[in-house]
Amino acid sequence: MSKIVLSEDLKSYLSRLPDIELDLLLEAYERPLPEAFRINTLKASEEKILERLRSRGYAVEPIPWARHGYVASGGEDLGKSLEHMLGLIYIQGPVSMAPVEVLDPRPGEIILDLCAAPGSKSTQIAQLLRGEGVLVANDVSFERVKALSSNLQRFGVLNCVITLADGRKYSSFARELFDKVLVDAPCSSLGIVSKSWGIARSWSIGIVKRLSELQKKLILAAFDCLKPGGILVYSTCTLTIEENELVVNWLLESRENARVEEIKLNGLRYRPGITEYDGMRLDDELSKAIRIMPYDNWAEGFYIARIVKEAG
Amino acid sequence: MRVLTSAERKYLVRRLMDQHGVEDAFEGLMLIRSGQGRIRAATKEAYEVACRLRKVQQVGLYVAKIVKGDVVLSIEGSQLLGSAITRNAVELSEEEAEEWMKAAPIQKSGKFEGKYVVARCGDFYLGSGRVSRDGKIYPQVAKWRRIPEE
Repeated sequence: MSKIVLSEDLKSYLSRLPDIELDLLLEAYERPLPEAFRINTLKASEEKILERLRSRGYAVEPIPWARHGYVASGGEDLGKSLEHMLGLIYIQGPVSMAPVEVLDPRPGEIILDLCAAPGSKSTQIAQLLRGEGVLVANDVSFERVKALSSNLQRFGVLNCVITLADGRKYSSFARELFDKVLVDAPCSSLGIVSKSWGIARSWSIGIVKRLSELQKKLILAAFDCLKPGGILVYSTCTLTIEENELVVNWLLESRENARVEEIKLNGLRYRPGITEYDGMRLDDELSKAIRIMPYDNWAEGFYIARIVKEAG
Repeated sequence: MRVLTSAERKYLVRRLMDQHGVEDAFEGLMLIRSGQGRIRAATKEAYEVACRLRKVQQVGLYVAKIVKGDVVLSIEGSQLLGSAITRNAVELSEEEAEEWMKAAPIQKSGKFEGKYVVARCGDFYLGSGRVSRDGKIYPQVAKWRRIPEE
């Protein structure tokens, strides 16, 4: 088996991160991700779909931190299965299901998924809304909106609106409209290198800094779209401070009614957000956010922060 | 994005009654016309939120299209109507359902009225298929929904 090689720049960057074990990270990058999926309870009962899958040779284990989430083994390629094509299941990485669990959509809420394509988290939000309330799924790219539209169609979501807009400008027409907003921001993807080693090859600090500027604008726009008392979840599938803690820190500095909330996810291994880096002291609130390293669960790496917009 | 007029809605409901025995199809949902004769269904609340937003691409779910006066149901459209479909429906085996989702024609005996039937496999509905004179049913499954051939 070939070995992943990191550029010197990336190796040096990662080794400066607090609380990281580089050897374990490389091992995680070389392992394939577990095959995971969600049952679409908008189309049929969980038990009925599980029964179908079992009868077709799949062994399934529930994912403790994600309602309706399972890891599959055995059987044919799930992506080519009848269940997938009919929208009875949605294939999604196990840790990628965590941000929506942190958002905790409730029936009746109006929820914005600001960077929605291809729609994994949008379909998960729709499922937890159970047909009551509204999901607004937005993306900036026409091509990616096509994939988003296909996935929401296959999932059978009636209470959704798809918009094609620059997320940075969303608050100019949707200020204080939403109960909850998810920003699963475009990022340098260091948490999912095992999907494609090319991510590590093309990584550069220049790209990270550009993404960080974009993410700061997205998080501010998202926060301004929240009703007072609303909840914002900011997540990325990367490990850099610039795209995670520094973005949330920027929001805390820019909006005095933003507060970070504690996160609890059953059965998922994670660590607190970083509050000190490279001689910089960040807001202590950031320790309430969570960092998930790829080797914590031998799956994807993620950063997740849950922020409340205080009323008044 | 335009809501179906009362006359357009009545026509759709009547055709679904004639073709598939469905009474009051899509009752309680907003029906919206999109391109190429396609009809989308959405909740009233989703439609109201869409009216407050900009850059809206789509609302709700594609459920049907009108082809030369007939209603062709999408997979989700037929699933939504479900057991209300009492006429011109065919039951498929698991193997036939797989073939259907590859858009392969299915040979079925029986007499059908009109040009379209709805397929189902147990509790799951698979949209409309066009009946040809040779007794084969041609599934109207969009290319992106098909199970890829080996």
